[in-house]
Amino acid sequence: MNILELKGVSFTYPSGTEALKEVSFTVEEGSAVALLGSNGAGKSTLLDLLLGIHANGAITLCGRPLASYGRKEVGRLIALVPQSEQFNFSFSLLDYTLFGRSPYLSQMQSPTALDAQIAWEALAEVGLAGFEERSITSLSGGEHQLLLLARAIAQQSRILLLDEPTSALDPANRKRTLSLLQRLHNRGKTLFFSTHDVNFAAELATHVVMLKGGRLLAAGPKEEVVNTAMLTTLYGTEMRTKTIDGQTFMY
Amino acid sequence: MAMIAATLLFALLSLFFGRYPKPGFYVPLDGRSNALMHSILVNVRLPRIALALLAGSMLSASGYAFQMLFSNPLVEPGFLGVSQGSAFGAALMIVLGASSTVTVQISATIFGLFALTASYVLARHFRFGGWLLRLVLSGIAVSAIFSSALAVVKLVAEPTKDLQDITFWMMGGLWNASWGQLLSILPVVLLCEAIIITERWKLNLLSLGEKTSFSVGINPKRDRTILLAVATVGTTLVISVTGLIGWVGLITPHLARKLFGSESSFSLPASMVVGSFFLLVSDTIGRTLLPTEIPIGLVTSLFGAMIFIIILTLKHQEGKA
Repeated sequence: MNILELKGVSFTYPSGTEALKEVSFTVEEGSAVALLGSNGAGKSTLLDLLLGIHANGAITLCGRPLASYGRKEVGRLIALVPQSEQFNFSFSLLDYTLFGRSPYLSQMQSPTALDAQIAWEALAEVGLAGFEERSITSLSGGEHQLLLLARAIAQQSRILLLDEPTSALDPANRKRTLSLLQRLHNRGKTLFFSTHDVNFAAELATHVVMLKGGRLLAAGPKEEVVNTAMLTTLYGTEMRTKTIDGQTFMY
Repeated sequence: MAMIAATLLFALLSLFFGRYPKPGFYVPLDGRSNALMHSILVNVRLPRIALALLAGSMLSASGYAFQMLFSNPLVEPGFLGVSQGSAFGAALMIVLGASSTVTVQISATIFGLFALTASYVLARHFRFGGWLLRLVLSGIAVSAIFSSALAVVKLVAEPTKDLQDITFWMMGGLWNASWGQLLSILPVVLLCEAIIITERWKLNLLSLGEKTSFSVGINPKRDRTILLAVATVGTTLVISVTGLIGWVGLITPHLARKLFGSESSFSLPASMVVGSFFLLVSDTIGRTLLPTEIPIGLVTSLFGAMIFIIILTLKHQEGKA
């Protein structure tokens, strides 16, 4: 089943900058889609559109136009892991993770014991069990990224949108994030992530969407779409592969 | 709970602080037979104490809301031109000869809202620094414009009556407190407080990044605008009867967060109780310490600035912005 469908999506900012032109592709439920493209190719705009930040009639979510959903309804279907989050208040890790339960709370309701249970489990899932009462301002870069993931996991959505999930991580934390996302994917969660890390995409993705200058360059299963010639066209610089210890790396 | 009890106890004690029949603390056991003492208690001190409690909680709630809405623990309505704007609005009405308190209140509210909008719009158009810096800078600019406009109004004000009224405004004070004044702002201020308390979970979410708050199912633009307007109306109404009282909205949320954590379910109500307590203590000190009354705005500024310095030097956890 197609959980997301884009039919000729275009978007122009009020300043006149045309960010996306006639982009069409579908996302199957349970797939892991990597969104590749150079800086300024329209990746962030596309993520914003999928989130519903800019209204667009050409996007369908679970068979219904995205624009016809209420805010909380979308929150129960799509969760966002931003690239980073600035923490100006020292919430506890548990408080912050509980914010992911907001789409399930009614107007005056505070989180219930069940919500707290779900948040605890999400923190345990990302490996932050035992730190529930710690302040979010005391986290390292790697823990920061894991916490953003925990909040999104607590949202119990069907789709996880991730904006460059590995851009600020060292190799150990990158590996942790990768195996965590693989686990979520194996459990049937649909992943849609933008990244500049081609090898990360190759390891995690089942499908790839390539954007160049706001237009769709290619979209489809990873094996059909990703090759050095296509990546060279995508990034406008020569891309090569190298095999080390039986694993192929692109650079 | 302890904080509420302490505030109520102090409110009771504060009733017996004053300058009649002798300066200092005096429990009038002959209250019923002494008509003057009875009148002072019921018509002078009681409304004044009630006004201090109400004003303290509203200023705190507004400060708290502003800090969360701008995701910056270092702002309060005064930082974004609201105080100077409403002071100008009130002064203008006083000079134009408005006799009713309501006219002054409405003018103060309108100009307070206008100043906030001006700061916001200017910050969007500034081409220097990040969003929070731009906001603070535009707040400084808007405050300065309204300060100079206020100075002009003071120049043309009639010195024996109007100028005194305006000066009262600038320093803040509760010496004019009466039941009538209290009741004139009570319904709307309580409504503003109720809205802020009801929306306390949203305040948490609005302190996060724009995209994150959007993704957890709220409409940040709409919710932020509504809550800013509510906080501003509440603040301007309070200062339309009390004059400018600074620092309460800045430091009490800090204190409450230190005590109860940053999540607003507890720290927002706590901040309002601390605000009431702080303003009541400041007012009681202001009216009893010296033979002449010290304006409350001066007392809160003095204590507020000292507490602020202590908070920021002790631990640098909250003040990263």
